[in-house]
Amino acid sequence: MSKTAIPTAGLADAAVTTAKITDANITTAKIADDAVTTAKSTAGITMVDQWRLTTDFTGIANPITSNLEQNDSSGNGVPLGSSMTQSSGVFTFPSTGIYMIIANLQGRGNDGSSGVTDSEFRLTTKVTTDNSSYTEVAFNGTGMASGHYCATTSHYIFDVTDTTQCKCSFRVFVNVDAMTHGDSGKNETHFTFIRLGDT
Amino acid sequence: MTISFDEKGRPAHIECVLAGMHRGQWFTWTDSKNKIYANLRLSDKIGVDGNIVDNTVTELPTESAVNAKLVELQNAWDAANGG
Repeated sequence: MSKTAIPTAGLADAAVTTAKITDANITTAKIADDAVTTAKSTAGITMVDQWRLTTDFTGIANPITSNLEQNDSSGNGVPLGSSMTQSSGVFTFPSTGIYMIIANLQGRGNDGSSGVTDSEFRLTTKVTTDNSSYTEVAFNGTGMASGHYCATTSHYIFDVTDTTQCKCSFRVFVNVDAMTHGDSGKNETHFTFIRLGDT
Repeated sequence: MTISFDEKGRPAHIECVLAGMHRGQWFTWTDSKNKIYANLRLSDKIGVDGNIVDNTVTELPTESAVNAKLVELQNAWDAANGG
């Protein structure tokens, strides 16, 4: 009997083994929606972390070196997966991969006592790929009148090919004695790290 | 949680005084959840021109000086805002 003459109904379930199924016959269309469980999937976000400035300061910090903590507010969802680590404001990634770095600054204009009533903030993300020379890769500026609040955000996608060489840090520049805000109870100036995928 | 300024912008905590005394991240807290004078410390390092260097501020202000400055700022804010 020719094999092509055997109808599907004539095949016992046990007759169709995994070894008899060629890879080319497994198509996306043949996979049921509920067949792909979380445990079977390697896609999706596997790492998120968030750090914040805990204490206010005026003037420039290049880089921000201290008063940083991992978000520990009630109900926080971080870290998802492995944590970032930081020393003197230099952040180290937990594994290689493509990361989104989101930097948020909350600031307050100077009090006007210097004679300058308008304040300007510049928030910069800096990265290194040799653990030495830093390049400014994201920059956002904002300004406001005395005593008013402002915020600015920047995003950068960083290819971390080597966790010992690829680092990041953040710089705040102000034109006068404006104040960058931080708090240990809620996010004001804060930094979010999301691993998007493999490098 | 520390509110340096209240919702109206009035100075409310010694942190806003400290931040105004010197530029940069010159001070820190031994317990950032409990920002009282007894927990105030000088930062070891600060960031200057892309470098991490020793803190140039070498002495903490006295508690009385910090408290007096806070009252001064509050009085100035009240006078300017009809408080």
